[in-house]
Amino acid sequence: MAQGRLITVAKKELFDHLRSRKFLLIFGILLVVAIVGMIGGITEYNKALDNYNKHQSTIDSPLSSYIAEKPSILSVFASVATYLVFVGAILGIAMGFDLVSKEKESKSLKILLSHPVYRDEVINGKALGGIAALAGALFVVLFIALATLLVYGIVPDGSELILIGIFAAVSFLLIFSYFAIALFMSTAMDESGSALIYTIIVFIVLSVLVPTLANDTVMESVAGSQPEIPQELLDQMQRSVTNATEGNTFSVTVANKGGSGAWDEYNERVQAYWEKRQMVKDTFALFSPTMDYQSVTSAITATMTPGFVLSAGNGVATAFSVSSGEATSVEDIFGKILANLVALLLFPAVFFGLAYVRFMRLDVR
Amino acid sequence: MRGEGENRTIAGPPASAGTARYLSVPAHPSSYGPTGRALCENSFLCTGRALGHPLGRGRLPARVHTMIRLEHLTKVYDGVRAVDDLTAEIPDGEIFGLLGPNGAGKSTTILMLVGLIEPTAGRCLINGLDTVRNPVSVKQQIGYMPEDVGFYATLSADENLAYFGALYGMDPGTCRERTDELLDLVGLDGVTKTVGGYSKGMRQRLGLAKALLNDPKVIVLDEPTANLDPRGVADYRKIITGVAHAGTTVVVSSHILEEVSRVSTMIGILSAGRLVAQGSWKDLAADLGRNTGAQVTIHVETCDPMPAFSHPDIIDVGYEADRCGAVIRARSDIRGAVAETLAHHQVRIRGLSLDGMTLEETFLSYYQAAG
Repeated sequence: MAQGRLITVAKKELFDHLRSRKFLLIFGILLVVAIVGMIGGITEYNKALDNYNKHQSTIDSPLSSYIAEKPSILSVFASVATYLVFVGAILGIAMGFDLVSKEKESKSLKILLSHPVYRDEVINGKALGGIAALAGALFVVLFIALATLLVYGIVPDGSELILIGIFAAVSFLLIFSYFAIALFMSTAMDESGSALIYTIIVFIVLSVLVPTLANDTVMESVAGSQPEIPQELLDQMQRSVTNATEGNTFSVTVANKGGSGAWDEYNERVQAYWEKRQMVKDTFALFSPTMDYQSVTSAITATMTPGFVLSAGNGVATAFSVSSGEATSVEDIFGKILANLVALLLFPAVFFGLAYVRFMRLDVR
Repeated sequence: MRGEGENRTIAGPPASAGTARYLSVPAHPSSYGPTGRALCENSFLCTGRALGHPLGRGRLPARVHTMIRLEHLTKVYDGVRAVDDLTAEIPDGEIFGLLGPNGAGKSTTILMLVGLIEPTAGRCLINGLDTVRNPVSVKQQIGYMPEDVGFYATLSADENLAYFGALYGMDPGTCRERTDELLDLVGLDGVTKTVGGYSKGMRQRLGLAKALLNDPKVIVLDEPTANLDPRGVADYRKIITGVAHAGTTVVVSSHILEEVSRVSTMIGILSAGRLVAQGSWKDLAADLGRNTGAQVTIHVETCDPMPAFSHPDIIDVGYEADRCGAVIRARSDIRGAVAETLAHHQVRIRGLSLDGMTLEETFLSYYQAAG
């Protein structure tokens, strides 16, 4: 009986979402950006693949062939993730901000709760209906994305399919996080307008303010200044530039420098600096589903690069990454994103918990 | 959802099975005081009457079963006692009119009655079940229509009732039949548009249908006629008296005194969260005269000289010079007794009118007397 009532509420909420114009509109936008993103990603992927093939057929230097890495199919999803991080969040907010407040405004909540149904069945049913609608929307997006891949003749292998699955799961968690925040606001506020405004404020804080703090002022004060490259090493590196890229950024590969004490010392300082930065960023990310999502999707969709890669502007390194030069396994990626995954699970759980408690204590007058 | 083989009807005379249910339910032993009178501890004005057997409507004076019992019900909002130590009992099949000025605690009482808010102290029993401890079982037996009845605007009346029917655990087929029957009853059959396009009156009609959907044992209506047109009001009266005949207990909260008096068999007057009086209008008016000195004036016009009148409620009688007319000041409406005396003396009556103690005056008198 209890399960029946929960399912009854969930079914009603699901059909409400599916019939709602705002859901259909945002879902339509999501589909369009997903398809456009996929096509853009596939075009980039094909270009990178052509370059790789060309490089493979023309290069005879072992060092150069080491640099040119076969692009990952997952890179196709990178641009989808860029759109999804905003459109998905808006979809979640749009679906959740008036779930309870609208019923308060229309007085239907009073009628609903006068029926033989427990309050937890109502709030759980609302969440379940929302989850089902979100999952359905995301499933359609994923299905179309995979179909687009196949249309372009790109067939992902087993591990790539697993990573695509993880991508879909974290995309769902991102949308659900904002859905849960909106649901909480809807429960806490008496008017849908107020609930929407407060949800948008939280969205801006989490998706703009927290990442900004993580990247700028706070990062500087916590991690300190970036170690400068000793002139001796800079001279050495400039001599071994192998491949200039766009604008004033260049990539250099430094190999077999183990014998140099200066290099080792610099390497350790840089490693420590970036580890500290990463730790600060990860800590901030725990408070922002947007950052968690970006961390996870960039780990999944990043094109793998070998050796040490320095991106530099005016001779000063601004980014640093390390890769083994071998394809990263699913387990490795999972290890990197575990904290973000946990945070993405915690976020909706915490806000849904708050919404639950608030709804259970709601005074219906 | 019909239980225990019941076959109650919505309107018209009580069905035999429904009456059987009514008669077969034993009285709650603690419902009444030692004299068999209902407990009413709140007011000096309280009559302490046995809350009116549903006589005069073709019922046998069976042992009365208390359907609704409020025990020292109290609700405090931010330090303000919205309802204060309210104790009352309403038997099966009564139409209980809850009256009171704005802020008297009517809506708060009703919200506690239907389990939407929890009392700060005391308890509320529906058919013996505590509304806080057994909310779902209680709600299964209640049909509720709030003042501003709200539905899902994007759904039609059928779809709204189907959803609520599913929450009552009704199977879709039964719910469909019941929905058709009720929409026909409230005059909304054939209306296919979504509820968002309904007028307030139509929404109220739908609210009444929803309140009857689960064939409840108790119906709670908050300002049920506020937005209804005259025809709607007439339909409402017919429906409410019909369901009460079938054994359903009805609680009506309203500020439209005339409307309450037309349908109610009992009245409860709330003032500042306290129940200051309960009983029938007649009993309340009589009590008011006895307890507060309030009085009515009866104008008698006859073609023949009048006899002397004798009645305990009479204060004084002023005769016209030819004794063909009289003005009687009394503590209650004793027109029946006056007419009887005149008939006994074979006096032809030309007119018998009453001044004072309209429903509104009765209500206001109680309210003022309660401070």
